[in-house]
Amino acid sequence: MRRSVFAFAFAILLVWAASPLLAYLKLGTTTQTRTVNLRWNAFPIRYFITDRGAPQVTSMQFQSAASRAFATWHAVETAETSSEFVGFTRANPVTGDGMTVLGFTSRPDLDRVLAATNFRLDTSTGEIVESDIFFNTATSWAVDPAGVTGRHDLESIAVHEIGHLLGLSHSAVGETEVIPGGRRVLGAESVMFPIAFAPGTIHDRSLKADDVAGITDIYPTTSSHRSRGSISGRVTKNGNGVQGAHVVAFNPAAGTLVGGFALNESGAFTIAGLEPGIHLLRVEPLDDGDLDSFFDSTFVVDLDFRVRFHDQVVVVPAGGGVRDVEIRVTPK
Amino acid sequence: MLHRPSAVLIAFAFASLSISIDGTVVAPAEFREIVNGSEIIAFGRVVDATPELSDDRHRVETVVTLQVATYLKGGPGETLVFVVPGGQIGRYRDVLVGAPTFEPGEEAVVFLNARVGERPTVFGLYQGVFRIRVDESSKRRLVVSPVLVAAGQAPERVVRGAATRRPVTLETFGAQVQSVVAEGALRGAR
Repeated sequence: MRRSVFAFAFAILLVWAASPLLAYLKLGTTTQTRTVNLRWNAFPIRYFITDRGAPQVTSMQFQSAASRAFATWHAVETAETSSEFVGFTRANPVTGDGMTVLGFTSRPDLDRVLAATNFRLDTSTGEIVESDIFFNTATSWAVDPAGVTGRHDLESIAVHEIGHLLGLSHSAVGETEVIPGGRRVLGAESVMFPIAFAPGTIHDRSLKADDVAGITDIYPTTSSHRSRGSISGRVTKNGNGVQGAHVVAFNPAAGTLVGGFALNESGAFTIAGLEPGIHLLRVEPLDDGDLDSFFDSTFVVDLDFRVRFHDQVVVVPAGGGVRDVEIRVTPK
Repeated sequence: MLHRPSAVLIAFAFASLSISIDGTVVAPAEFREIVNGSEIIAFGRVVDATPELSDDRHRVETVVTLQVATYLKGGPGETLVFVVPGGQIGRYRDVLVGAPTFEPGEEAVVFLNARVGERPTVFGLYQGVFRIRVDESSKRRLVVSPVLVAAGQAPERVVRGAATRRPVTLETFGAQVQSVVAEGALRGAR
């Protein structure tokens, strides 16, 4: 018995070490009467590509990379999404023309922004009127299969931006370190991590468990309702809710981490789209992040608490949920 | 369904968190970069945030007016006007994912890029915004976001929940900014 416990623990050590912390967050907006999640109500999403290339990348190459990036999301078996390339356009990837356009454009006002996703929303219904993705020509881009040293991989960044276009916000991923004159990512497994990826790397062309859980949460297939599960509960400190607490569910059997946030004053959280099985829960403050890239300014995030593991293992059932999990944290 | 795990299991899980993973290079700006890369650094209160169409009439951007209490760098006047992407005109709201939003009454320290002939913008989209909250017990103004700065030449791993990383008072934050500004001025003088 003792031996098996150690073997299990060692397995956890390996998989946890190989998987930085993840957490998905859905985009939302307020209408006149309520808060709604951003989601497309009709598929396929019909998109255009700007007919202008950039140095080293033609518009045809751009279209191929964007198409592969869309396909990466559509390949998630537990979610239902689709898109259709309509054609090339002279239009810019900006809002106001009623078309969903992806393409290169120059945005010197957005220094350090490689690419970004815009939405135009109808606040009376919460519906997406249009969405556009621009790739800043201030950046050097590449579409080569193996990547190019010193240039950003267009497909990787497109996967991230299309995640936004589909309704996912940023994910509070992994570890970073500070170095003189900069900050560097140590482990970033989610494509929805907000920090710029390194030029030359291509590993973010592939979705990770957190991305899959997020997209499944927004666009579940009928079968995913039966095959996936959820965890919900509260994070509390001295009996009060901890708003903005980052909750991570670790599945030792799959070696995956999926997370969520406590999104109200009562500290309530829900993590959906989980594979069934044993999960360990960890709560941490987002005290190393740029809060503005996750929440709007009116959302008050409590950062004054210590990292805490829930003292019970949670077993997520297929097609169901574990509720009323309470994780008590203590101030720093 | 809930089970209590063994203490050993939890201990191993904790231990594994200290293991770093080989990873990617270059990420957001470190604090010195933000300070040195900004032409204007100011603390103040937002008195107005008005969405308007951009000059090319394709984008909505919000013009933010800050009543400045203190300039830490630069300093065009008692009020400071800058723009951020997005905003709402009529029933339509434009959102650029990750862009900061401002409401009248909010307090912040903002780090801005100033380009000739154009209104200033926030450094690094959102990296140049440090929000202020008033601590309920002490009534002092605290800077919420962490200041991530390398203490020496060696890389320093950023650990979430570290007891040492706490909101700092506005005065301490201002001193940190001015220390970096002075470093830069000293280097320039040499």
